[in-house]
Amino acid sequence: SGAAWARGLLSWARPERWLASGSLFPLSCIHTSTSVQKIGKWEKKNRIVYPPQLPGEPRRPAEIYHCRREIKYSNDKMWYLAKLIKGMSIDQALAQLEFSDKKGAKVIKEVLLEAQEMAVRKHNVEFKSNLHIAESLTGKGRYVKRIRCHGKGMFGIMKISRCHYFVKLVEGPPPPPEPPKTGFDQAKEYVQQLRNRTLVHTL
Amino acid sequence: LVVVVCSPLPRFRALLQRCWGRLDRGLWPGVFRGQSPAWGRSRPPALAVQGPALLPQGINDAGESSTKAPSLLESILLMAAPKKRRTIEVNRCRRRHPNKLIEVKRNIDVCPECGNLKQKHVLCGYCYAKVKAETRLIRMEIRKKEEGPFNAPTVETVVLYEGEKPTEEDEGKRIIERARKRPSWFVQN
Repeated sequence: SGAAWARGLLSWARPERWLASGSLFPLSCIHTSTSVQKIGKWEKKNRIVYPPQLPGEPRRPAEIYHCRREIKYSNDKMWYLAKLIKGMSIDQALAQLEFSDKKGAKVIKEVLLEAQEMAVRKHNVEFKSNLHIAESLTGKGRYVKRIRCHGKGMFGIMKISRCHYFVKLVEGPPPPPEPPKTGFDQAKEYVQQLRNRTLVHTL
Repeated sequence: LVVVVCSPLPRFRALLQRCWGRLDRGLWPGVFRGQSPAWGRSRPPALAVQGPALLPQGINDAGESSTKAPSLLESILLMAAPKKRRTIEVNRCRRRHPNKLIEVKRNIDVCPECGNLKQKHVLCGYCYAKVKAETRLIRMEIRKKEEGPFNAPTVETVVLYEGEKPTEEDEGKRIIERARKRPSWFVQN
């Protein structure tokens, strides 16, 4: 419907004749196709531009946002893979995904390679190995309901699930993992909480 | 234990009622009573009686209902069903438990031949695919030479690449020619 409206609008202008003359006409910026519905928030995160850094500031590490939409896989199952590679360096993540038996591992590996390529070409990343995965998330895609036939004429409604996968790569080595909280630390915190108590509504 | 079978004869029924009364009153010590404390131990039936259902009346009904199988409507009442909805917190604790998370594999190495990644106990995927492709071409050459099934010779086969001549060892063997340079990984002899 969008395409028909756009075509109707431009029919009086008849740009094909102008293009044939060889002049540049900025029609490419008008989207006449209906397939591109809406640009997601994750894709827009790549467009932010920071002001130039002052000479004394520490270097801001490059951030690359990439995602893939409507992957034919379950959200819950994809979450386990996303949890696996959270916080790893990109090489280690690719190694783990290569030898994983899950269907989503192949998809995530493609996404990571695409993101790495994008980082080197467009986002001024010097070394493609110097990236680590800061965030890796999954989202629920559009579900479709179908009928699943059982015996004796009974049927169930099954849902065909799809998911999205989002990843944020940041330049630099991966941050060291947090040491697990010891009992001593918890006890210290508790004592500190007790010490922070004050008397209210008193002199 | 007492095993009972129903039969519609009033005389037998009267006799059995008297026997049962005697058992209850303990006037028949020779017979093992089913209601004794030795309930758990399994023994062969000390008294097997054929006749109509005995006193008390409760056994009559129990006998009838035990022979009739529970109908579909009643058996639904005995099925296991969740009592309460599992909250998302409980579900999360189960789904995110460490035993359900995927383990990080520590047996990944680099193949010394091609530099791709490989698992320690598995052949390198790239090298295997490379060898498989070359083997497929050799087999195609063999098929061309044999011209049909069941023509495999009884002698050994030797594969020679460009610029190689058969040596004295390859006297009686079948020779397959491949029109390319010998690959570095395919060592001669």
